[in-house]
Amino acid sequence: MSEPKGHALALLSLTKKYGDFVAVADVTLDVGRGEFLTLLGPSGSGKTTILMAVAGFVAPTAGAILLDGRDITPLPPEKRDFGMVFQGYALFPHMTVAENVAFPLRVRRLPRAERDARVRAALDLVQLEAFADRLPRQLSGGQQQRVALARALVFDPALLLLDEPLSALDKKLRAELQEELKALHRRVGRTFVNVTHDQEEALSLSDRIAILNHGRLVQAGAPGALYERPRTRFVADFLGKSNFLEGTVWGPAPGGFALDVGGARLAVRLPDGESPPAEGARSLLSLRPEKVALLSGEESAENIAEGRILAFAYHGTGFALRVETAHLGEIRAILPAWKAPIAPAEGLAVRLGWAADAAVPVQEDAA
Amino acid sequence: MSGAGRPGAGWWLLLLPALVLVVVFYVAPIAQVLTISVTEPEPGLGNYERLFTSPAVQRVILTTLRICIITTAIALLLGYAIAYAITLASPRARGWWILAVLVPLWISVLVRAFAWVTLLRRQGLVNNTLLELGVIAEPLPLVWNEFGIIVGMVHYMVPFAVLPMLASMREIDPRLLAAARGLGASRGEVFRRVFLPLSMPGVIAAGVLVFIFSLGFYITPAILGGGKTLMVAEWIGLQILDLVRWGLGTMMATMLVVAILLTLAVFSRIVDLRRIFGAGG
Amino acid sequence: MDGAYRSGPAGRFLAWSTALYLVLPILIVLPVALTDQRFLSLPYERISLQHFRTVLTSPEWLGSIWQSFTIALASTALSVVAGTLCAIGCWRISRRATEMVRVLMLLPLIIPSIVYAIGLYRYFGALDLLDRFLGVVIAHGVTGIPYVVITVSTALAAFDPRLEQAARGMGASLSQTLRWVILPRIAPGIFSGAIFAFIHSWDELVMVLFIASRDVFTLPRRIWDGINENLDPAMAAVAVLLILFTLLLLMADLALRRRSQGR
Repeated sequence: MSEPKGHALALLSLTKKYGDFVAVADVTLDVGRGEFLTLLGPSGSGKTTILMAVAGFVAPTAGAILLDGRDITPLPPEKRDFGMVFQGYALFPHMTVAENVAFPLRVRRLPRAERDARVRAALDLVQLEAFADRLPRQLSGGQQQRVALARALVFDPALLLLDEPLSALDKKLRAELQEELKALHRRVGRTFVNVTHDQEEALSLSDRIAILNHGRLVQAGAPGALYERPRTRFVADFLGKSNFLEGTVWGPAPGGFALDVGGARLAVRLPDGESPPAEGARSLLSLRPEKVALLSGEESAENIAEGRILAFAYHGTGFALRVETAHLGEIRAILPAWKAPIAPAEGLAVRLGWAADAAVPVQEDAA
Repeated sequence: MSGAGRPGAGWWLLLLPALVLVVVFYVAPIAQVLTISVTEPEPGLGNYERLFTSPAVQRVILTTLRICIITTAIALLLGYAIAYAITLASPRARGWWILAVLVPLWISVLVRAFAWVTLLRRQGLVNNTLLELGVIAEPLPLVWNEFGIIVGMVHYMVPFAVLPMLASMREIDPRLLAAARGLGASRGEVFRRVFLPLSMPGVIAAGVLVFIFSLGFYITPAILGGGKTLMVAEWIGLQILDLVRWGLGTMMATMLVVAILLTLAVFSRIVDLRRIFGAGG
Repeated sequence: MDGAYRSGPAGRFLAWSTALYLVLPILIVLPVALTDQRFLSLPYERISLQHFRTVLTSPEWLGSIWQSFTIALASTALSVVAGTLCAIGCWRISRRATEMVRVLMLLPLIIPSIVYAIGLYRYFGALDLLDRFLGVVIAHGVTGIPYVVITVSTALAAFDPRLEQAARGMGASLSQTLRWVILPRIAPGIFSGAIFAFIHSWDELVMVLFIASRDVFTLPRRIWDGINENLDPAMAAVAVLLILFTLLLLMADLALRRRSQGR
């Protein structure tokens, strides 16, 4: 991969209020050169407001936006030189594909010959050379999306901003375009800032994800790190599925601590350098369903819970089980179908097991 | 009786009163106008020959076309400014703007013509004020000429121009304007390259509406023209009531209808006619 | 998006000037009507209601107002009945033929009144309807139909046709369905149409100039004569009264729409 050509973006204590409503609260975030960053959150979490502030459509109430260390907060949108793919694409319906892509070059008064060459190159990049003379309404959703990308990239923008770029597409096309978008990012090597509420899209596309809730930045990090070590209940719940086990710390144990949940004692192993919580403190664990195994016969595990199957569903790739356990309440487990040791049935007595490092302590979110 | 899908004969009966009224009392009198134009004073196209031979007839037509085109152009410009302001206004301000357009629309055309006479005549408020301020030494001829007609007609037509343009502007996705800005266009360029082209269907619809309304306009030109500048409608009235030249009057009336239908037919290829008349309610 | 798009100073200036151009000339008749002089002017020393008194005590003006009012009421009734039934029929049948009917109903909006007026002058002469109350009512009633057809069609567009089918399915006859299901739902549209048809007749002059002369002398006709013969402040008083009356009707229409939307 070539040296990243992109620019670095920094948000410093960015805040936006609408009257008494706080849409974005004190968000500080760095986006590195050539990074693909996704702002992820439910609707109303402030992610779109942040993107619109970066684009220049929303004036922040407080805080600053820096591009390569330079304050760009007061600049109007047309002076920022950012490419943007809007939700629903916002292609100009009265212009052909080529005219749409040429628009940013025309308003920059580029000479005709150079304009044509760059439009061709941009359409080539998204494999739409053959559609140059069509009108947007004559294209499929996926093609329109690619035109929007070409239009946003054709003028070599400092940043590419994407507002829910795939939300208007059906599921299968979405998966296809995710791959294309990722490949495109690698090819052009620019800094991408993406907004979505779709956690799968965020996980598969991004170099880094920033999770937002109620206008606050909850946690930022690489997809794997966020998924494996969520810091709060919200992150664990929003990024994938999770069981939550709440109990009292019984005492330290080798490499971690022991937690008393409803009379059962669970072993929790912590990564190196993390210290266990104080004895007697309340602690909340997040346990991913796919890390829970169904134990057969004499098989053993660091943590074991016995119970009965409440319900199950077959998903092709696996079984999703809901098991009512004696001490831990209801636990959800997802088993690969091809190596499930038994055929599940309602009411069947089972033993569940998981490793000591499978469960992660998380914080309860501030209300 | 009918099933749920196919309406029965009963529903057709509902159309009957309106159909009878319109055919007997609207279509028939107008058909008679068309007939008279080729039967009086003698059968034939003699009346229509006057279109090519009579300078008086030609002068009336030219005057009418000139006034209509000027009126349409000005009404479109002013109406566009208002529709644009309404589209971009906050919801609160929007109500006031719309009121400023709708109230004149429903105030009697006579009242409005009277108001303009009060303002524009020789001893009117405008001339008196200007004289007192010493801006002019002689009263300006503001009314009973083409200028007065156009002032009054534009005043009448602007609300009609606003409605179709407003409808068309409200269909423009605001994200397109934001997108254009984000791609580097200045405010002027956003307007010129995105907003204006996308609002063109409304402009054309408004132009057609104003033009055909202006063509047959009677009251305002009659009052503000003071009998000196004749437009087609007043000229027709003159032929029938004062000169009793039915053939000539009905010929011109027929030409008026033909011109209007022709304009509609030509533009129905470019814009949806429902855009023009949908705004009538 | 607050920074997205706003109009420039030139556009705002033009819009404001246009709004003033639309509204101010209409407002000017109020001070003129309140003048203490005997000719058209602004009040010199004090405001006076003498011209309103003149109008409201003149048998000619009162007679014309009454005549216009009764003609407008009768012709509105004609327009509303014919227009509403027609709009409902077109809506329910909804074929190519009914599209033609709808276009036919809109003709009076497209064809200039002068063409219709000279046609009527001849046509009513033969039927002995010239200068008769009934003649003017028919002329205004027929040309008022489009307003009702448009407003009722708009109201019907928001009406679920399955409600009508459900009513018929439960055994309601056509007239029962009309009275109990359709008409109550589209009543606001009918009222709007009625108000517009009323204003249409109340303001109409061109037809009246041709088909009425002495016995039927409506308010617009008297104003027309006033403007052409003697421009005195009494005319301004009439204009003010007319403006107030129109505003009243429009406010009634607005209130009705608000109420029907509030439901």
